[in-house]
Amino acid sequence: MILFEFEHENATSAEEAVTRLHEIETETRFLAGGTDLIPNMRIGIAKPAHLVGLGRILREPMTVDGEGWLKVDALTRLAEIEHSDLVTSAAPLLAASAHTVAGNQIRQRATLGGNLCQETRCLYLNQKHDFQFVEPCYKRGGDCCYPFPKNKKEVCWSVYMSDIAPALMAAGAEVTVLGAGGPVRMSIDHLFSGDGLRPLTLNLGEMIRYVHVPPMGKDSAWGYHKSTVRGGLEFGMAVMALTFRLDADRESCKDARIAIGAVNEGPVRLSKTEAAMQGQRLNKKSLTELAEMASAEVNPLPHHGFSKPHLRDNIRVYLRRAMEAALARAQQA
Amino acid sequence: MLDSPEKTTSSVLRARPKPRLVTLSINGEPHEVVVRPHIMLLEVIRDHVGLTGTKDGCESGTCGACTVLLDGKPVLACITLAVECDGMNVQTIEGLSEGGQLSDLQEAFLDQAATQCGFCTPGVIMSSKALLDSNPKPTVPEIKKALEGNLCRCTGYNSIVDAILQYSGQGVKPLMRKDGAP
Ligand SMILES: Cc1cc2nc3c(=O)[nH]c(=O)nc-3n(C[C@H](O)[C@H](O)[C@H](O)COP(=O)(O)OP(=O)(O)OC[C@H]3O[C@@H](n4cnc5c(N)ncnc54)[C@H](O)[C@@H]3O)c2cc1C
Ligand code: SF4
Ligand code: FES
Ligand code: FES
Repeated sequence: MILFEFEHENATSAEEAVTRLHEIETETRFLAGGTDLIPNMRIGIAKPAHLVGLGRILREPMTVDGEGWLKVDALTRLAEIEHSDLVTSAAPLLAASAHTVAGNQIRQRATLGGNLCQETRCLYLNQKHDFQFVEPCYKRGGDCCYPFPKNKKEVCWSVYMSDIAPALMAAGAEVTVLGAGGPVRMSIDHLFSGDGLRPLTLNLGEMIRYVHVPPMGKDSAWGYHKSTVRGGLEFGMAVMALTFRLDADRESCKDARIAIGAVNEGPVRLSKTEAAMQGQRLNKKSLTELAEMASAEVNPLPHHGFSKPHLRDNIRVYLRRAMEAALARAQQA
Repeated sequence: MLDSPEKTTSSVLRARPKPRLVTLSINGEPHEVVVRPHIMLLEVIRDHVGLTGTKDGCESGTCGACTVLLDGKPVLACITLAVECDGMNVQTIEGLSEGGQLSDLQEAFLDQAATQCGFCTPGVIMSSKALLDSNPKPTVPEIKKALEGNLCRCTGYNSIVDAILQYSGQGVKPLMRKDGAP
């Protein structure tokens, strides 16, 4: 039950939805699958006065163009993405990451765009229940961060939990953002501000319209791991995604991309480790060293009861395993 | 930024949102309900239509007790706005039995003691039905994946997996004799 009232209308096209967001004078939000926004409205941490539903907009089918780029309508439901043969072959990282989000019922409604635009989370912020008195923190206009009271003013350590964003980052994906001025295509890396208070760089009324994933060449490898406690219907403890290309010797690394999610205000690239990987012969020993380097490079925020050292350890072990799996898959192919 | 506790929408909305007509087919029967936008599909099913088989557990998308099939897909009625479902088909647990006779899937759950307090059961069975509709002989990992969004605090889950294996004819024998005696 949501304890306040709001207006709702359905848009029939993406352009109309964007126009309506600029026309409506009260605070308005897009409603895609609602699996992030509605729970936040229910606990009263989001109180838009108006929702523009995107569910009735005709979704464009996913396509792969002549150069091998996969184009996905951002309104596509995650269940469709995880089970799509096209996505599994053209962008295996996207399929693997969509498969790990929440539970089946949520994936049936949740959309790709909504997943990327989800709010950041923190145990204090998201614990609110009707019966609890919870003083607002910085993220809600208050004057303290209660779990981290030593934080400087306006420093919020809420964590961005998308399982898909790091996968798309490691794949080198791009997004088309539709705003009042028309569509703009950019690297997905530019979507994230790194600020827990306003984690996305999107302005009001800007919509993620498409996600574009570049082709995986024959020389490419990919790895993905989402660490959780119980292994189902759970936000990540840490999410690891990587791609690399192998030289003709099938052992030396041409270049690599590593993205870590669920431990910071946005997904982060590990550029130092990526640079160290370049030109390296990849084997058990070097991957162990690289994973150690990555675990030192990443700077996880303590979140949901997991300490920084614990998260570092987790990333060291599971990133190594994800890299080993990636290498084995590429060498077998 | 998120919103402070003090913020209200009533001060910015010029008028109370008008109720609107939502047409649903619930278990094959047409229903028309008049709701304001903040009303959930779960409230419509339980409070407006009076089908209380679908349970209200966490109301935050985490337990799966409210699972119903919306146009054949399992969704959480507690986080789905009723206005978003206009014109759609809803199937609830009540739609599985016919003339007071439980469906074979429900019987398999009873037989394997896959239901104890029963609070999770309607949601679990709707998720299972969605799985079996698209995959008549699911493997154990497929069953676990399909049910990851359904929490049960009583059974320990193994009996639920067994009930689905029994129903789909995959080597799990019935526990009860035909006359119902254990
Ligand atoms: C129990 C539970 C478990 C969950 N577990 C996970 C998990 O493991 N991993 C995970 O990543 N997420 C998880 N989620 C969060 C959420 O379900 C997903 O992130 C989902 O993909 C959100 O998509 P949606 O379409 O439902 O978004 P919505 O809730 O509709 O929207 C989320 C936000 O994005 C905005 N928005 C939506 N679409 C667009 C668009 N195209 N362009 C711009 N803005 C847009 C909305 O205005 C809103 O502010 C979980 C949620 C619940 C309730
Ligand atoms: S980390 Fe951010 S969301 Fe959490 S209590 Fe502090 S300010 Fe609020
Ligand atoms: S009541 Fe809907 S998921 Fe718990
Ligand atoms: S039977 Fe009691 S919660 Fe599942």
